[in-house]
Formats: sequence, C-alpha cells, structure tokens
Amino acid sequence: MSSQTILSQENIRKNYGWLIVIGLCLLPLLKMKFDTYMTLTIAGLAFGMFIFLTAVGLSVIFGLMDVLNMAHGAFFAFGGYASYTVISKLGGFGWVDTGTTGQSWASFGLGILAAVVIGIILGFILERVIIKKVYGDHLKQILITMGSAYVLVEIIKIIWGPNDEQVLVPAAFDGSWIFGDVIITKYRVVAIAVGVLVLIIAQLILKKTKIGIIVRAGVENKEVVQAIGYNINKIFTGVFLVGAALAAIGGAMFSFNKLQVYPGMGDEQFIFAIIVVVIGGMGSIAGSFIGALMVGLAYNYVSFMVPPLALGIDIIIMAVILLIKPKGLLGQQ
Amino acid sequence: MINELTPVQQDRLNEQKTRYTNKGFWLQLIFIACLILVPIVIPSFRVVDMVAKIMIMIVLVASYDLILGYTGILSFAHHMFWGIGAYSVALLFYHSTNPSAYLLIAAIIIAVALSFVLSLLLTMFSLRVQAIFFALLSLAVAEFALILSEQWTSLTMGEDGVNFPLPDLLSSASASGRMVTYYLILVISLFLFFLLMRFVQSPLGKVLRAIKDNEKRATAMGYKTLRYKIVPIVVGSCIAAISGILFALWLRFVDPKTVFSSGVMIFVLLMVIIGGLGTMWGSICGVVIIYLAQTWLPDLLKVGASLLPPHPIITGLAERWMLYFGIMFILIMLFFPRGVVGTIQKYLHEKKVAQLKK
Repeated sequence: MSSQTILSQENIRKNYGWLIVIGLCLLPLLKMKFDTYMTLTIAGLAFGMFIFLTAVGLSVIFGLMDVLNMAHGAFFAFGGYASYTVISKLGGFGWVDTGTTGQSWASFGLGILAAVVIGIILGFILERVIIKKVYGDHLKQILITMGSAYVLVEIIKIIWGPNDEQVLVPAAFDGSWIFGDVIITKYRVVAIAVGVLVLIIAQLILKKTKIGIIVRAGVENKEVVQAIGYNINKIFTGVFLVGAALAAIGGAMFSFNKLQVYPGMGDEQFIFAIIVVVIGGMGSIAGSFIGALMVGLAYNYVSFMVPPLALGIDIIIMAVILLIKPKGLLGQQ
Repeated sequence: MINELTPVQQDRLNEQKTRYTNKGFWLQLIFIACLILVPIVIPSFRVVDMVAKIMIMIVLVASYDLILGYTGILSFAHHMFWGIGAYSVALLFYHSTNPSAYLLIAAIIIAVALSFVLSLLLTMFSLRVQAIFFALLSLAVAEFALILSEQWTSLTMGEDGVNFPLPDLLSSASASGRMVTYYLILVISLFLFFLLMRFVQSPLGKVLRAIKDNEKRATAMGYKTLRYKIVPIVVGSCIAAISGILFALWLRFVDPKTVFSSGVMIFVLLMVIIGGLGTMWGSICGVVIIYLAQTWLPDLLKVGASLLPPHPIITGLAERWMLYFGIMFILIMLFFPRGVVGTIQKYLHEKKVAQLKK
C-alpha cells in the first residue's frame, strides 16, 4: 500500500517535469513559422543531449559523494580534442569526409573511443591524485577542481594551440533530410539517438544491476551503504570514471555538431551542465535528462529571437526552479 | 566593588592604551607614507602603474576575502561586480557629451546600487537552499554578464571595449592627470581597506567568525545565520564594484576580457588563497606576491626555454605561464591551505602557547 502511494507520487513528480518540457516546446510556436520551429527544436534537442552527457556524470558524482567536480567541463573539452586528433589522422587516409559508409562509421566510432579513453585516464588521475585528498570538504573540493580545470585547459592550449581547430564530419553523417519546408540535419538525429540510448542504458544499469542498486543506495545514504560493507570509495571512483567518459563522449559528439574544437568549449558546456544539475536535482539521471532538454530547447528558441539573452533564459529557469522546488525537479526531497 | 568590565570592554581598553605604541600601527603608517611617496620619488610609469594596480587589486581581493574567508561561501561572480563598476564609469563617461567629475559620483551610486540589488537577489535565491548553490548560481550569472558585455553592442561596444574620455582633472589633458588619479585611487583604496578591517573587527564580524567556525552552535546561540551571511556578501560585492570603478579610471579603457572573463576570478582566488583565508593582511600579501611573480615569471620562462631545444611543446610550456599559477594554486590548496599570513599566524600562536606552557 505504502509503496503504491510512493510510486504514484513519484509518477506525479516525473510527469510534472515532462509537462514543463512539452509546454516549453510548444510556446515558441506562437511567434514563429513551423519550419523554423522544427529546425530549432531538433537543434535544441541535440544540444540538450550534449549537455545531458556532461551533466549526468556531474549530477551522480555530486549525489553519491558530495563532490562538485568543477573540472568536468575539462573532460568535455579533452574528449572533443581527442576525437579531433583521431578524426584528422583518419581524414589523412581519406576515411572521414570521402570514405565509404563503413569507413565513416568506423572513424566516428574510433573518435568516440579516443574520447572515452582520454576521459577515463584523466578522470582516474584527477580522482586518485587530487580529489581523494579532499573528500568531505566542499570548499576545498570546489577550489581544487576549479584549479585543475584551469590547468587542464592550459594543457589543451599547449598541446593543440589556443585557436579553434576545424573538425571533419564523417560523410555518412553529413548533410540533411528535407521534408517539405523542414530541414533536419542528419547528425543531430544521431546525437539525439545517442543521448536517449545513454539515458536508457544508465537507467537499466541503475535499476536492474547490483552495482546500480548500490549506487542508488549510496546517493540516498552513503553511511548505511558503507556500514553494510560496500567500499563506497571504490564505487565512487567507478562512477567518477564513467561520468568523465560520458562527458568526453559529449565533447566528441559536440565537436561534430559544431564543426570545430576550441579550448573554451568545456567551460561553456560546464555552465549549462550546472544549470541542468540544479534544475534536475542532484543525483537524478532522469532529472538531468529533463533539465538538459529544457535548457537546450529554451536556449535555442531564445538564441533565435534575442541572441544575447539566450543564456539568461536558462538562468531564469534555474532561478524559478530554485524558488519552487529547491532540490530540483526530481531531486531527493 | 568588583571589576565590572566585560571581556569586550577590557579588550577595547587594552587596545586604546597600546594603540600608539603598537608596532603594527607604525608599520601601517610607514606603509601609507611609502604609497604616498611612490609617484614623487620614482618617476617610472611602470612602477607607478604597478603600485596603482596593486592597490586596486588589494581592495578587490580583500572584499572577496570578506565573503570567502569570513563566511566560507564561495562566490564565482566577484569579478562580475568588479566589471559592473568598471563598465558603469566607462559607459557614463562615454555616453555623456561633457564628462564632468560629478559623473564619477553618479557612477559610484549606480555601480553600488546595481551590485547591491544583484548580490541580494543571488543570495536570496541560493543561500536559503544550500551554500553550494550560491557558487553554482554565481558562476552562471557571471558567465551571462560576460556574454551580455560582449553581445549587447549598442550599449557596451562589444568585444572592442570602451575607450572613454575622462574629466579634465583626471585625464591626460592636464599634466598631473595621472598623479591626481593615483592619489584618488590611494585615498579610496585606503578608505575601503580600513572599512573592511573595521567591518571584520566589529561585533558583526565576530558573529560571522562564530558562524564560520560552527554554524549549528551559532544558530543555537540565537543568531539568524542566514541574515548574517547575506551582509558580508552584499558589502563585499559593493566594495568590489567601487574597486572596479578605480580600475577603469586608471586603465582609461574597459573591455569584456579584462574584467568579465573567468581568468580574473581565478587570479582573485589565487591571491586570496596565497595570502591566507580570513586574514585581511593576507590579501595584501597575496596580491603583491602574485603581481611580482606575474612580472618576472614570463621572462624567467623564456630564459629557461632558450636553454632547451626548440620544440612546439617546450615553447608552449614557456608561453603559457598561466599554467604555473594553476599548478601553484592546486599545490597550495593541498599542502599549504592557510596561506602565507595564516601560516605565520599559526606559528606565532604556537610559539605563544609554548611560552605560556613554560
């Protein structure tokens, strides 16, 4: 009986977030033509997916261990640069922009793989060498990871230079489909598919596997999990690595969308990720997803209408959510 | 009759008695005298420029220390308030046909009012939830300020920056323009710094220290901790805005990169941490150390790089000197979290304790 009511309450809480997303989606129709609207919506959804990939790790890391990792944006940037390096090497062999469908899928996969590898390496170094020393001290964690982010971005500037670099797009993802007046960029559809896939896999792991249950329990109450006998620090390192890898994947995918990589890309993305985490609630994956969609869509609509205020609308959404639901849409109440 | 003085009154009496025999007092006087003499004795513009910038930064860093060191709340928007000050004076002078000194007062009022409202809004939204949200919200808002200053070109001239005319008294039109600006900066910075010193020694500052040491205890003693935390944030932000006005006056030029970019925030954080959190004198120490390092480090690195074989990575390592500040920041946080002044204070304290034990 009691579990039933909790379930229904949770359902209401979830629907609430989705209702806001759908409402937000339809709002701009009042002011713009349908074809522009569709293009913007697809772009916004794809943008939301990149943000989601960054935010999901940040959110779970914070939920599990109370660590606010300010260097998360740097993983995103490193992912983008790693994939850029691999893709431009493969481009030299003619795999990327002129290759067959198989070659372009392979180069896409290799680019993502490079991002994952570098994300895991960097995450491991950062977690083991630096963050481990300051567990439990919020202020120091934020400051130290902020310093690390700064150092990592400087390292990017040293290795790859401080300027923008052009990124090739695999031929299979280049171009767009046209339905009547509506133009849909192929790559954005791929990005949305990857984002949804990550959400589904993450939810399955969290709901169905033992590790997932431990992680969820850890988010709820880490002392009890420790008392039962699980080494929460080890699990946390694992979650941290997965989060770093996801952010790196986000960076790689973002680079194909933006067609360039630049040292500041991680810092920009981190701002959105923070907004998403606050909106969605610390430690909630579904919350991050809803938050990322809201932020991505709102950003795209407003940047079409009044470009300078695009980030402002996201900040306003965040402030309103903080007022109504201080713990975020799906956060632990 | 027994002694009716409370410990606080006793303290004050002691302070009044030793006020003029105190070493610190004379040191302060000598320090101020040096600052007054600098432009007269040393005619080199480079030195005067550095001293003026150091004074401005000291106010900025000290006001940040008021927020971070005395409440433990992390703000990532301090450079935004600085920039608000800088831009308010720049835009007022730029858009007015006849720049007069009265506009300076108007700029101060506008900058302080804007900072007051903004910082109050930020605290209202975030602090009531959790202190960490203040860091997140302020980071986002500061980024938004950078974007606005870059893209709202009709008001801020965008990335080109604002090159504004100054009233005759301060501008290069009169021969002593720089001198007057220097002394204006000196007077206002000194005033603000001693205001901050007074603030942290006031009863309010003592409550803040109690809250930082143990918030639950302070709540149990009946202090409404949330309200007490808002005060230093608002005061610190307003002082940062005035410091920004001084900066714009000295530079005679403002652009988004110099005031609104997050690099400024990193520098302020570095200076606060090096000097020592929660010590006003630490901010002086931190600013001076970083400014000296900033002047010498790039040259030193170039010499170092010329000894090694030329390779893009090595020249990169030599050119990106900011990297070493970042590494220094991490190392200090890990091994030296009290900063210079904090460590000295701890050492003196331990010595005193050891003496008392004997």
